[in-house]
Amino acid sequence: MFGEDDVVRSHQERADMVFNLVVACFALVLARLWYLQIYKGKQFFNYSLENRLRKDIVRAPRGMVFSRNSVLLTHNVPRFDAVIIPQYLESKEETIQYLAEVLGMNPDSIKKTLKKFQGQARYIPVVIKKNISRREVAVIETEAHRLPGVMIETFISREYTDKDAGAHVLGYISEISQEKLPKLRERDKYEYKLGDFIGQAGIEQQLDLDIRGTDGYQFMEVDARGRMKRHVGSDDLYMGVDNKNPIPGNNVRLTIDRDVQLAAYHALDGKDGAAVAVDIETGEVIAMVSRPAYDPSNFSTGLTSNYWGQLVMDEKRPLRDRTIQEHYSPGSVFKTLVAIAALEEGIVNEKTTVNCTGKFPMGSRTFHCWKKEGHGSVDIYRSIKESCDTYYYKIGTQIDIDTIHKYATLFGMGQRLGIILPRETTGLIPTKAWKKKRTGVEWQKGETLSCVIGQSFVNTTPLQLAMFYATIANEGKLWRPHVIKEVFSSTGELKKNYEPELIHQFKLSDSTWRMIKQSLYEVVNVPGGTAYSQRGKGIQMAGKTGTSQVVSFSADKIFSKCENNEYRFRHHGLFAGYAPSKNPKIAFSVVVEHGCHGSSGAGPIAKAMASAYMNKYYPSYQNKLIGQEKMTFKEVIDDNINNPVPMIMESNPQNYYDEKGVQIKQWTLDKVPTAAAPVAAGDGE
Amino acid sequence: MVFNWREELKRFDFFFFGICTAIFLIGILNLYSATHAQGVGPEEGLYKTQLLWFGVSWTIGFVISFIQPKNFFRLAYPGYLGMVAILVLVLAIGHVGMGAQRWIGIGSFKFQPSEFAKLAMVLVLARWYSKASPEQDIGFRELIIPGIITLIPALLIIVQPDLGTGSLVLMIFFSMTFFRKLKWKTIAILGVIGVVLSGVVYEFGLHDYQRKRIITFLDPEFDAKGSGYNAIQSKIAIGSGQFFGKGFRRSSQGALNYLPENHTDFVFAVYNEEHGFVGSLFLISLYMILFYRLIWLAMNVNKMFDSLVVIGVMAIFFWHTFINMSMVAGMLPIVGVPLPLMSYGGSSLLTFGIGCGLVTSISNSRNLF
Repeated sequence: MFGEDDVVRSHQERADMVFNLVVACFALVLARLWYLQIYKGKQFFNYSLENRLRKDIVRAPRGMVFSRNSVLLTHNVPRFDAVIIPQYLESKEETIQYLAEVLGMNPDSIKKTLKKFQGQARYIPVVIKKNISRREVAVIETEAHRLPGVMIETFISREYTDKDAGAHVLGYISEISQEKLPKLRERDKYEYKLGDFIGQAGIEQQLDLDIRGTDGYQFMEVDARGRMKRHVGSDDLYMGVDNKNPIPGNNVRLTIDRDVQLAAYHALDGKDGAAVAVDIETGEVIAMVSRPAYDPSNFSTGLTSNYWGQLVMDEKRPLRDRTIQEHYSPGSVFKTLVAIAALEEGIVNEKTTVNCTGKFPMGSRTFHCWKKEGHGSVDIYRSIKESCDTYYYKIGTQIDIDTIHKYATLFGMGQRLGIILPRETTGLIPTKAWKKKRTGVEWQKGETLSCVIGQSFVNTTPLQLAMFYATIANEGKLWRPHVIKEVFSSTGELKKNYEPELIHQFKLSDSTWRMIKQSLYEVVNVPGGTAYSQRGKGIQMAGKTGTSQVVSFSADKIFSKCENNEYRFRHHGLFAGYAPSKNPKIAFSVVVEHGCHGSSGAGPIAKAMASAYMNKYYPSYQNKLIGQEKMTFKEVIDDNINNPVPMIMESNPQNYYDEKGVQIKQWTLDKVPTAAAPVAAGDGE
Repeated sequence: MVFNWREELKRFDFFFFGICTAIFLIGILNLYSATHAQGVGPEEGLYKTQLLWFGVSWTIGFVISFIQPKNFFRLAYPGYLGMVAILVLVLAIGHVGMGAQRWIGIGSFKFQPSEFAKLAMVLVLARWYSKASPEQDIGFRELIIPGIITLIPALLIIVQPDLGTGSLVLMIFFSMTFFRKLKWKTIAILGVIGVVLSGVVYEFGLHDYQRKRIITFLDPEFDAKGSGYNAIQSKIAIGSGQFFGKGFRRSSQGALNYLPENHTDFVFAVYNEEHGFVGSLFLISLYMILFYRLIWLAMNVNKMFDSLVVIGVMAIFFWHTFINMSMVAGMLPIVGVPLPLMSYGGSSLLTFGIGCGLVTSISNSRNLF
C-alpha cells in the first residue's frame, strides 16, 4: 500500500509528457510566428504600409414592384454622393478649393462640414454633397489626381412611379438607426448592417425580407491615399479573398391596377379620405387610395428631417393608411346590413311598411329621420333607396344587437380581414357582452337605434365596406382581400403565389338577395334614389350612400346645411356598392372626410373607379348597356348570363396613364353624357 | 483554529498572482493601444472597464486563496450540480447575444456561465479521480462515470451553441485523464472513435456558420466572407510586425479597423504588430514559466486531488492560450476563444482570477503540517 504522496509521485512520467507537449505546442506557435514575421515579414510589412485591402459592400438592389398588368410602380435609381476621407487629404486647401469649383459650392461650407466631423476617426468618409449629377461624377473621376481624398459613394435610391398615388400600399423605406439595429436583428433573425434600409409601411414593410435581396461585397486594393489601385484578383497573399456579387431582391406583382388606382387618386384631388375597389370574385384589391398621402421617394434620397417632421406633425396624419388603419362610422351604408338581418330573421318582409313622420319617439328621447318632413309610407325598397331612418328605428326596436353582430360578422365587419399589409385595424361591431365588459353598463335599447343607422359604436374600415358589398354582389362568398398576386425572383422564377382564399361562404334566402340588389340598384338608377345624381349611361352602379356625423349636434342644428358648418365639423360622406349593377364585377367603398354627402361627395370617386375598371377590362360593356336600355331588370340579368361581356386579357391591357402619370386616353364611357338631373336633396344620416 | 495573518502570509505563494498580473499589465496596455484609434466609438473606454474587472477578479481570487483545499474537495459535487442547473437555466431563459444563448443576466449584470463550468469541471473530475482507486491506470471501464460527468455540461454548452467552450471542456477532461494515466491502448482507440465521430458531427451536428468556419480554414477559397478575410488581415497584422514590431500604439491594421474584434479574440495580432517577434518571444516565455511552475506544483503536493486540480487549472490556461494564438496566426479555424489575461472580457478574467486563487491555496497548503 502506497501513501498518497507516493501516488502523486507515480504520475511524474505523465507530468513530464504534459510539459513536453506544452513546449511542443508553443514551439509550433513560435515557428509559425517566425515564418510570418521574419520569413514573410518584409512582404507583410509593405502590404500593411502601402497597400490596404478594403472591403466594400455592394448593396443588393431591392426588388421592383409591379401593378397587376406589370407596369412598374417601384424601382431603383442609382445616386451619387461626393465624400472626403480626411485621412487621405493631402493639400487640404487646394483640394477643397478645386472640389468647391467642381460642385459649385462655397469652399467655406465644405470646411464647415469637415469641421463638424472632426471628432470621428479620420478614415470615415464625410459626405460633402448628396445626389450629385452625372457630369460632376465624371469630372471627379477624371480629375482624381487633383482631388486626393475625394471619393464618390454610390447608393441606390428607391423611386415610386406615381409618387403619392400609391404611397400607402407601396409603403416607404428608411435607414435603420443605430439604436434600432439590435432590436431588428433579434426580431427578424436577420443580420442587418448599419446603413441598411428597411421597409416601414405597406408592401415595403410586409415583404421586406422577400424584396431586400442579399448584399455582396467587393475587395479593393487601395493605396495610402485611399485611391483604388485594383480590384483584388488572384495573388498569393490574397488567395481566398473573393468578391461576392449581390443577389437582387425578389420582385412583386400586385393586384392593384394602376389605371384604376390613378383614376381614384385623381377623383380624390382636393379631398381627404379613402377609396377601395375589389374584384368581387377573388377578393383582389384593384385600387386602394388614401389621402392625404406622402411621396415615398423622399424617404430614400436622404429624407430631410423637415419633411418627416411635417408628416408626423400634420394633424391630418398623412402617414396613416385610411383604407385599413382607420375606421369610420359607416352611417347609412350600414342600413343594408340591418335590412338583410331583418329580412332573414323575419322582422320585416317585402310587404312591411312603416309610416315615417320624420320623428320617432323612444322613451324620453326622440330620434329624427334625416328628412324633417318625413317619407310617409315606406317599404323595404324605399327605405334603402331613399335611406329612411324611421324604417330602421322601427327595426331597431325589434332586433337584438347581437343578431346584427352575427350578420355583420358574416359580411366581414368588426374583424381583421387578414389582408397582407401591416397594421390592419378591426373596426367594431358591438355586442351586449362587449359593452358590459368595456363600460360595465348594460346595453341600452336606444343604443340599438343609433347602431342600426351606422352610428354610435359601429365602426368599419373602408376595406371592410368594400368587402361587405362584394359579398352582397357575389351572394354570400366572403373572400380574403389581398393586394399581392405573386413574388418572383429577378430571373423570373416564381417564389410565392397568392391564390384567392375564401374566408367563408354562407346562404341567405334568394328573396333577400333579390330585394337587396333591387334596392341598391334603385338608389342610383331610379329617380328619388339618394345617389340618382351619380347614374350614368356609361356605367351602371348599385350601392348605398351614407353620411356619418363627426360630432353630435343639438336638435336645432341637426338640419342646418352641412356646408355651412366649420370644415372639421362637417359630416363624412360615404358611398359603397358594386358595378355593374346587374352583373357585378367590382365592389367599392369610398369615404370622403367632411364631404357632407354620400352621393355628391363620395359618389364620383366610386364612379371613376368603376368606369375605369369596366372600360379597361370590358370595353364592349358600354354597347351592352345601350342594348339593354329597354329591358326589364330580370331580362337584363338573363341577358348578362346568356351573353356575357367578354373580358380582355389581363396581360394585354390598354393603359390610360403614361409612365409619368398623365392621362393619355379618356374613358370612352364618359362620352355618353348623363342627362341633367336634380341633385338629390340629401342622404340618410 | 485561529487565523494568523503573519503565518498565512509567510507561506503565501505570490508566484501565480505575480506572473498573471505581469501578463495582465501587458494585456491592458495592448488593449489601450488596440482601442485608442477608434475615436469616439463605444470601444474607447474599454480598458477602464477591464481594469475594473481586474480589481474584482483579483479580489475574489485572493479570498479564494485563503480557503483550504479540503473545502474545494467538499464543494466539488454541489458546485457541479449547481453549474449544470445554471446551464439548463441559460438554455431556458438566457439572453441571446451574438445569435447564441450564452449569457445570463442578474439585474443589469450579465455573465457567461459556461466560463465557470470549466472550473467546476476541474474540481469534480479531480475529486472523482482522486477517490476512485487512484493508483490504477485508466481504461474504458474507469472512463464511464467521468465521461458522463463531462458530457452533460459539454453537450449543454455545445447546444447553446458555443462549440469553442464545449470543446474546451472536453480538452480539459482529456488533459486531466491523460495525466491520471489513461492507458495508451485506450488513447489509440479513443483517437479512432474521435476521428469517426468528428466526421459525423461535422456532417449533422454543426450550425452552418460553424461548418463554414472549418471549411474556410481548410480551403480559404471556398468562401472568403468572414473568416477568410479576418484570417488574412490577422496574418498581415502579425507579419508586418517583423522582428521588433512597429512600436506601441503604432498598429495600423488594428487602428484602421481592418482587424475584426481587435479587443477580444484578436488582441494577439495587435500585440504582434506592435511588438514583433521579440515581443511574442517575451510573452510566450511568461506563459511558459506559468505552465512550468504549475506542472512542478502538481508533482509537489501530497494529495492526489490537489495535484489534479492544479493540472486542470493548467489545462484551462494552456488550451485557451494555445488555441487563441494558433487561430490568430492562421493555424486553426477562428473559434472565438479569448487569450487568457490579455483579451477583453469580464467573465474570462474572473475565471483566471479564481484559477489563480485555487492553485495559490493549494501551493500554500504544502507547507502546512
